[in-house]
Amino acid sequence: MTFLEKQTDPTAPLHWRGNMQADYLYPNGVAGDKFFKHIMQNDSFLATKCDECGKVLFPPRLYCEDCFIEIPEENWMEVPAEGTVRLFTVAKLNAHGKKLPEPKIMAMIDIDKTDGALLGVIKSNDSERDFTGARVRANLRPKDAREGTLKDIVNWNLI
Amino acid sequence: MIKKDVAVIGAGMTLFRRRLKETGKELSFLASKMAMEDAGIQKKDLDMVVMGTAPDAFDGIHMKGENLLDGAAGAGKPYVRVFNGGGTGVFAPIAGWWHVASGVADVCLVVAEEKMGSCYPHPQTAFRHIWDPILDRPLNPNLVWLFAMEMNRYMTVHNIKKEDIARVAVKNKRNAVGHPCAQLADPNITVDDVLNSEMMAWPVQRLDISPPSDGAAALIFVSEDVARQYTDNPIWIDGVGWNIDSTMWTNRDLYFPRYVAKAARMAYKMAGISNPRKDIDFAEPYDPFDYKELHHMEGLLLCDKGEAPILTREGVTQRDGDLPICPSGGLLGVGNPIAATMGQKVCELYWQLAGKAGKRQIPGDPRIGVGQAWGDIMQMATVMVMRR
Repeated sequence: MTFLEKQTDPTAPLHWRGNMQADYLYPNGVAGDKFFKHIMQNDSFLATKCDECGKVLFPPRLYCEDCFIEIPEENWMEVPAEGTVRLFTVAKLNAHGKKLPEPKIMAMIDIDKTDGALLGVIKSNDSERDFTGARVRANLRPKDAREGTLKDIVNWNLI
Repeated sequence: MIKKDVAVIGAGMTLFRRRLKETGKELSFLASKMAMEDAGIQKKDLDMVVMGTAPDAFDGIHMKGENLLDGAAGAGKPYVRVFNGGGTGVFAPIAGWWHVASGVADVCLVVAEEKMGSCYPHPQTAFRHIWDPILDRPLNPNLVWLFAMEMNRYMTVHNIKKEDIARVAVKNKRNAVGHPCAQLADPNITVDDVLNSEMMAWPVQRLDISPPSDGAAALIFVSEDVARQYTDNPIWIDGVGWNIDSTMWTNRDLYFPRYVAKAARMAYKMAGISNPRKDIDFAEPYDPFDYKELHHMEGLLLCDKGEAPILTREGVTQRDGDLPICPSGGLLGVGNPIAATMGQKVCELYWQLAGKAGKRQIPGDPRIGVGQAWGDIMQMATVMVMRR
């Protein structure tokens, strides 16, 4: 039966070998530009506050997606590069199913004084513990090495 | 069965530029906000949202409709992305229309976004992957070569001179001078400038083609039940049509876009238009290349086959002519962020019919306009007829 046929050698049928390669430069955006430029100079973050719902948006946005209003310039505010782990996982295998040299602790971190969160990697030798509720601080690259991308946050240290 | 008549009550459009610093979300927000302010609508008033945005490979985000939605007032709403390549600029509003015409939504926001600048160094990279992998790709064709062949066929069948095609580029780039979003407006461009521009793939030269762009546009559609709550001057959608031909483009005669004619007939039938040449006051056919405007005028049945270049030479298609074509400045003058060309092809119909087109306003109080987009491998046509 056709459905039971199994092709074990994908190169056996006559074929054309192609790819879908494409390269990108993703601009940080207007709000993102301001956010990352601040991190390049400071050891803190920026957030924006929506006047209508009162939420402090983090990462900072040009607009509140709920109220759909533009955030005015004066509503930008500085917040500490610290937060609390809301949820986490400990990854042992990579996307190809290969074992990672060390477990990777991936966490969602609620940023202090905001209503937003950021994805981060926790630095810890104890990958067996429960990180829920752990207090963490961003471990930033040395200032002269910062490039204005998320990679300027090397990882997050337990406080 | 159409349950409700559908009106347009607001439109918005961002700058079109080769590369904008805004993210796709931010562009979507700016256009959406403009349309909502124009209509006097807030997010809470929206029943549904439609996003039109073309290949993921431009922005470089798989499933970019989902990525863009919070900038399009779509978070927490019934939201859908539609896309059929270059046809999207008119297909997104068609989808918005059916959300309302079906009676499912009273107020629907339609947003169209494209950020081609992210695809580096040039969005032609993304077009490399649209071909049939077995029959086309081994020869490594690109879109300019393909359209050069179609243009050549059109010129050969009707014995059209290149200078009569170049007039379209001149007209549209000059029309775009009145457009606040325009990327390639030029008040002084001449036919000689076009004919002397760099040859890319004969007979296509640099100034025959619209540029890649970033940008966004938005429209607010409402049902007949609520239109008068928002405006005394609704603009009605009278007809929509769409049609797609086979990817076996090698087996079709490319001198005439028969799929455009089928889509146009569908829209005209719905709109009760029996004589498009007489009934339609102005048109926004899709003009990514200058010859495409002519090709599409013929596909839209606005003139005989081979007649569009003659009408152009005689000035009939100028903004103050008997049949203004691309009064917005089109893709050639305003720019070509694929899906976001909804700004020229449908928002412009609204602005012209509502008397809001400013410096681009067509004289003589136009009552009926038709907009059209085109896409894929010379396959897809989308058509919308609007009436004051």
